Amino acid sequence: MHRLARGREHVVATVDEIAPGESKVVPIGRHGVGVYNVNGKFYAIANYCPHEGGPLCVGRTHGQSVVDPERPGGAAEAREGEFIYCPWHQWGFELATGTTAVKPEWSIRTYPVRVEGRNVIVTA
Amino acid sequence: MSQTLIDERKLGTEQVQVRVVDSDVHPYPRRGELAPFIPGKFRKLFAARGEGVGNSVFYDPPDYAHASAMRVDSFPADGEFAGTDPHLTFRQLIMESGSDIAILGPLNSSGGQTEEETHALAVATNLWQDNCWLDSENNWHQRYRGSIVAAIDAPDLAAREIEQWAGHPYMAQVLINAEMRPAWGDPRYNPVWEAATRHNLPVACHLGRGQHNELPMSPVGFLSYNHDFMVTYSLLAANQVMSLVFDGVFDRFPTLRIVFIEHAYSWILPLMWRMDAIYAARGPENGLKRKPSEYVKDHIWFTTQPLDFPEDKLELTNALEWMEADKILLFSSDYPHWTFDEPRWVAKHIPERMRERIMFQNSIDVFNLPSTVPALPGQVRAF
Amino acid sequence: MSSAPHPLIDASVHIFFKSDADLRGHMHEPFASRGFPEPDVAWFAPPGKKYAPGTANPDGSHQASDPETVGRAIFAERGFDFAILHPMSGGVMPDRHLGAAILTATNEMMAERWLDTGVYADRFRGTIRIDPNDVDNAVREIKRWRDHPRIVQIGLPLQTQEPYGRPHFKPLWRAACDASLPVAVHLEMGAGITHPPTPSGIARTYSQHVSFQPISYLYHLMNMITEGVFEEFPELKVVWADGAADHLTPMIWRMDTFGRPHLEQTPWAPRIPSAYLPEHVYFVQGALDGPGDVEFASEWLRMTGKEDMLLFGSSYPDWQLASPEKLPSAWTDEQREKVLWRTAAGLYGLPAAVPA
Ligand code: FES
Repeated sequence: MHRLARGREHVVATVDEIAPGESKVVPIGRHGVGVYNVNGKFYAIANYCPHEGGPLCVGRTHGQSVVDPERPGGAAEAREGEFIYCPWHQWGFELATGTTAVKPEWSIRTYPVRVEGRNVIVTA
Repeated sequence: MSQTLIDERKLGTEQVQVRVVDSDVHPYPRRGELAPFIPGKFRKLFAARGEGVGNSVFYDPPDYAHASAMRVDSFPADGEFAGTDPHLTFRQLIMESGSDIAILGPLNSSGGQTEEETHALAVATNLWQDNCWLDSENNWHQRYRGSIVAAIDAPDLAAREIEQWAGHPYMAQVLINAEMRPAWGDPRYNPVWEAATRHNLPVACHLGRGQHNELPMSPVGFLSYNHDFMVTYSLLAANQVMSLVFDGVFDRFPTLRIVFIEHAYSWILPLMWRMDAIYAARGPENGLKRKPSEYVKDHIWFTTQPLDFPEDKLELTNALEWMEADKILLFSSDYPHWTFDEPRWVAKHIPERMRERIMFQNSIDVFNLPSTVPALPGQVRAF
Repeated sequence: MSSAPHPLIDASVHIFFKSDADLRGHMHEPFASRGFPEPDVAWFAPPGKKYAPGTANPDGSHQASDPETVGRAIFAERGFDFAILHPMSGGVMPDRHLGAAILTATNEMMAERWLDTGVYADRFRGTIRIDPNDVDNAVREIKRWRDHPRIVQIGLPLQTQEPYGRPHFKPLWRAACDASLPVAVHLEMGAGITHPPTPSGIARTYSQHVSFQPISYLYHLMNMITEGVFEEFPELKVVWADGAADHLTPMIWRMDTFGRPHLEQTPWAPRIPSAYLPEHVYFVQGALDGPGDVEFASEWLRMTGKEDMLLFGSSYPDWQLASPEKLPSAWTDEQREKVLWRTAAGLYGLPAAVPA
């Protein structure tokens, strides 16, 4: 696959190419960059897990478990789709910030994304 | 990585140094692949029991419904389970992660309801490995080694199975379940140790999850989650170590080599202190000839995965020094399980002084492996 | 040693009734005539001596059953200033009514004989024994004793049918927090209802048995962490009274390593597991604990914050009798002070000065 150069702006998709809840891995840098549409907002992360180097974007996005005494089992899912979970050891990272509250020193790389007209543009 | 190489399945003449021996890799049979190898008497019974059954997981690892306790990226494209495709394992583990030799430890042999059934499953599993993983088509690269699966709860049958396969060019160890009661110091298991030592084969045990008292059960009742369950699972291995030592198994079998797979290892440091303290306080009331920690260092090995990592890496480095990890650790990845440890990551965290012993040399010695193998162009070297 | 400017605290002295008849004399009918085990039974007893040399009483009564003899040994001879008493019982009874009758008699005996009267009463502090299989009654018993000035701890058995994180134990933790009393978990002597002592059944040797059993605290602790007990009861303090603190270090590494992915299953315990240890977890440091007198002993004690968790305890009169002289010479003065008195003084509310 043709690799894109790093450190500049790339038009990676058109907005309707990545529907809400969907994502796309584009070949930027050594491991690629995953572009995610979370409820209409776009985020971009490195396809590389800082833990042992797993291919992060193969993992599933979902929310975060929170205590909810009203629900059966006492827990509920909050902020659905806002976290990426690594396909290897299932560590979760917030797509927006790349971090987690539990162990902030282990964070993933995120990249600025903006939408111009119909284009999704990543600076990576 | 070169697809051509796999397609051609031809080895060059060039030899390379073995730099990584992976002592914990899991092959799984494809749907229906094991059945033809099951001894006739049990084939129908197992098929009938398996009819219409579903998942039996409890103590579920994270996101189980989507990950099935596996590396999510290790499922083959044909819809079969992770670890069912020898070529995919070869590509992901050997070519792309740099494990040079992979010791296969099949886990599909437990679940018999009688000793004869467990033995029948062991027999089938060994035939299946020989035919579907260690054969010239699937092991054309000579990087796979198998395990002689033996039913520890039927020691005489297990010994016979060891006899049957000993001398096979690609069988590297005996593999038993860790959970059978009583603990291994019991003399009923002598035939297994005897057969293994006669053929200079190490005996390895992987953790498994049975039912009832072989779950295993904690002495203070059932844990609540996979988290507290899998972490405290190590205590079963700790107890087996104590049984082996205090019941004098290594005095009975001075050449016996035992490998604990995936039971973690850092607990052996305080356990050696504790056993030595008891020995010092109570004297050789069990007839032991040496300090418990000396038996451990001469007879027992632990695989590295999962490499439990402290907040402060220096603590790990110190602990490895204090336990003399270069004498007791064998690298392992646990591919394709979700707790997979990447060889490059592990090598990086082992102190340099110990790196070669832990990543490959100890395994070459314990499993009697070659120190060079035919080269594979394009293979990642882990360190 | 008593000339030291600070007090020395023995955080674990085991005490007993003088005899089976003595216990029965403290019980009422119909329980006084029932059958129940004594603390010393042949089942998994050490093949050699059960008790330390010099602890036998000339009148044949049980070791550590006479306050004056024990006081002399601990304070006059061994130089301690305070001792935390932990009454040993004969095992967890299948009949909770009988169990309650035995433990109540035990608590009353301890108060009358050791804490309220006698020349050493002001040096002794007591642990009341409760039965976790009868939570309602245990809570009543905690309330009954909580205002006694010399009761400083609640004692629970290590052997249970369920690990201590399970929710039906919550009223115990609530009562302990309300009473501001730490909870000590100690192996029960004697015989009673227990699961097999190891995950592989019974041990063949005493060495293995005695080596494994104390380590079982890990099942309780890990379960309490995942069930969010320390989140719900931030004031709760637990003393693992059979030692084996050394195993905490590797096992909490393991717990943390698998903590991050598993947290999604336990939002009631949202922090990384090791964060729940400080101020919640303590250990009695006994004779079989520690790396021995090695150079790195001080570094090891620092790891996982164990230097702030250990309380020296002699386990008098057990054969495992521990002495402060055997503590590693590489420990810093500060570490020795913490283990020999400072942490215990804080935990049990003991004065920082030597009593006159
Ligand atoms: S490599 Fe991603 S969680 Fe371990």
